[in-house]
Amino acid sequence: MASRLVTACIMVVLASFVVFLIANTVPGDPVLAQLGDLAAANPAVVAAFRHRWGLDLPLWERYWIFLEGLTRGDFGESIASHRPVMQDIAEYGPATVELASVAFVLSLALGLPLGILAAVRRDSWIDNLARMISLVGVSAPTFWLAFVMLAVFYGALDWAPGPGRLDVAAFPPERLTGLLLLDTAWLGDWATFRDAAAHLVLPAVVLASSTLGLITRTTRAAMLDALSQDYVRVARAKGLLARTIVTGHALPNAMLPVVTLGGLAYANLLAGAVMTETVFSWPGLGRYTFRSAVAIDFPAIMAITVIVAALFVLVNLLVDMSYALLDPRTVKT
Amino acid sequence: MFKRIFCLAAALPVLITLPVLIALPLLSAVPALAQKKASLVVGLDISDGRNYDTARSSDLTPPLTHGAVYETLVTLGTSDLVTIRPALATSWSAIDGGKSWRFTLRPGVKFWDGTPLTAEDVKFSLDRLVNLKDQPATYAANMGAVTIVDPMTVDIAVKNPAEPLLIDLSAPSFAIYSKKMVLAQGGVAEPGADQADKATTWLNSNSAGTGPYHMVRWERNSGVELRRNPNWWGGTAPFERIVIRHIADGGAQLLSVRKGDIDIAMNLSAEQLDSLGGNADVKIIQGGSTDTLYFMMTSDPALNPILAKREARQAVAAAIDYDGMIKALVGGFSERPPAFLPNGIAGTTQAQTKEFGLREDIAKAKQYLAAAGAPEGFEFELGYPSAAYFSTSYALMTQKMQSDLARVGIKMTLKPMDNVNWRSQFNGGKLQATVAAWNSPSPNPYLWTGASTQRVAGRMRWTPSPELKDLVSAGAAEIDPAKQGAIHEKIARIIVDNANYVTLMQPIYRIAVHKNVSDVQLTANVWKMELSKVRPAN
Repeated sequence: MASRLVTACIMVVLASFVVFLIANTVPGDPVLAQLGDLAAANPAVVAAFRHRWGLDLPLWERYWIFLEGLTRGDFGESIASHRPVMQDIAEYGPATVELASVAFVLSLALGLPLGILAAVRRDSWIDNLARMISLVGVSAPTFWLAFVMLAVFYGALDWAPGPGRLDVAAFPPERLTGLLLLDTAWLGDWATFRDAAAHLVLPAVVLASSTLGLITRTTRAAMLDALSQDYVRVARAKGLLARTIVTGHALPNAMLPVVTLGGLAYANLLAGAVMTETVFSWPGLGRYTFRSAVAIDFPAIMAITVIVAALFVLVNLLVDMSYALLDPRTVKT
Repeated sequence: MFKRIFCLAAALPVLITLPVLIALPLLSAVPALAQKKASLVVGLDISDGRNYDTARSSDLTPPLTHGAVYETLVTLGTSDLVTIRPALATSWSAIDGGKSWRFTLRPGVKFWDGTPLTAEDVKFSLDRLVNLKDQPATYAANMGAVTIVDPMTVDIAVKNPAEPLLIDLSAPSFAIYSKKMVLAQGGVAEPGADQADKATTWLNSNSAGTGPYHMVRWERNSGVELRRNPNWWGGTAPFERIVIRHIADGGAQLLSVRKGDIDIAMNLSAEQLDSLGGNADVKIIQGGSTDTLYFMMTSDPALNPILAKREARQAVAAAIDYDGMIKALVGGFSERPPAFLPNGIAGTTQAQTKEFGLREDIAKAKQYLAAAGAPEGFEFELGYPSAAYFSTSYALMTQKMQSDLARVGIKMTLKPMDNVNWRSQFNGGKLQATVAAWNSPSPNPYLWTGASTQRVAGRMRWTPSPELKDLVSAGAAEIDPAKQGAIHEKIARIIVDNANYVTLMQPIYRIAVHKNVSDVQLTANVWKMELSKVRPAN
């Protein structure tokens, strides 16, 4: 376990080094991305700007400063927002975590039963439906789906609220965690809780669509494989109930690839919500990441890289650990 | 098989939207929040805003808020960008032979917290602007010492009397705020403020001004909230509350304004605005701007030997279908000034464009090509940012120009690049030709004439003649509007003749306004809309 953690840390640092090199070799100057035309023409202003963000230091020194900060959890100040990057991430992160978590739960809640049913009722209408959902879910462009959902359920039917995390005239209550559902529930502000929950539905469905497709497809394939194994035939021959065979024998064995995919899918949801956040005006990390990249905001880019790399490494670790629970044969004796 | 697929396709939307169908009837019963009825809600993409401290802000959208919560010593009219009008100062006059301006403050003005406005506040605000040394300090480069004469009189020195200052004082960067409130938040106005000042964090979420509203909240990428200032000297502001709601996507803004969830949608494309035709609940308001989109060509033979010839540039300028570009790409909602000064600034008019401005003339373009020694045409490269201006991508605009030029044998190769890379190439003087947009921090004509003949000329490597430089200086120093207008006309004629600098568009902005509100007026001023004048519809 200790060696795994060391390897994970090395992976994260390596990822940060690669991104640091890439960010520093792309053409373009962050000074020009941030300063206005008048200020960019003033050498004194430009020099002060470079000095403030350490852009006048050699590359190796900048990377060393970054590593030093990393040990303290300090990623420096964002060139774009002029605030500590961790403050930015703490502000935008909860909105994305909330959205991605709801989307993940939604895709699991629909994808798992659908995949299992599709495998059990192979070539039936539900199997065809599951395959169709997989295909469309994976291939429908998020941007398009987001706008269609908004136009239909908000614009035409008036069933759903519009963009944003709350009503257009409302602001969030006192910030505890930044997760609106949790904060409002803790404060007992149920009107705002319902408002926040209603605003989550459309973006969560859109964000869940591709993950839903993947989970359905993977569950179906894994279950088909498990159902064709000899131990299932033996179980059938013993006269066990079909429900018992599926839930007690086939499903636990089919869960390994699903858990692997699910972990990575959750990390992807956290890291890749740019389009959904744009259409639904969701103040989350996706938009922040996009703007940081466009503005060559080095501190923000590095912080996001480290966080996303650490997230994937952590998820992989958790997935590996879950194998032992799901399949004791994977444990070294 | 096909029947089965059809049935599946029909069932698919039902399944995907199942959670919506289940959840929404339960959740959409959220009662409309009571405060919404007393509120004005504006939908706007505010993602560019990095801070709301007027002495630090240089972004496009914060001035909309600044215009409602702060006031300046002098101001400009909604559509008249020439006449200086009283605001916090009731009168002013030049003293010391034009080396200073003396301002008399308006009596009875209070900040929103009830403390009265005095010359101390004026000095504190303007000193802090300069000593913070942030971007807006560059707009105050010509402002000298601020001296308190008495509690209601203040002198402001001018470093170079040959350059204007008064019109700059109307810009939001020169907002006057409460010394008491800002000091209490760690504000510093003395030299060294760039290191010592701590007030920006507070000023990002609050305001300390005298305007009709005051700011109570800024949630990044979420919204800005203003409340009515109970102590406004101008009377009672129309709304108890204003919310500037961040909605990045134009489509989402369109849906929201149609339903009346937002009262004003600021970021709709021409197609989205056109889709509102016939909608009785929403009307479209339009207003001019001082923004410009311009096209530039180098004179440096090292970059392109043929473009270095004036006749070659004139051929390019005469081959562009300006009217077609405006009509096809932005629905006709744009003016076109003769040179770099926008219409409405210092006597510049659309009539001048018609009289002597650049216009499409294919026969003349061919004559110019022959005079340049390239009767069959020539080649050059245009670098442009992969971005959009006025809801239209630069790619579309330049492709239109490319096809126009091909009619006379000129081959313009398009070279798209990301915005930061383009800015690096442009500022580094490496582009043969480019397109760019300019949005001035104040309607001071010298900001255009000075910038265009110094910075921009340097970047595109063309050298203004001594005559042009003299005219620019004379135009900046001239106070008489008629004489100043005449000088700028001469400048425009020279620019047209040189054909280094071609203004393609001066947008007419349009916004969608729900019938819930009235008195919505766009302005070409930096704050874009007269937010404080909007009121509930009767």
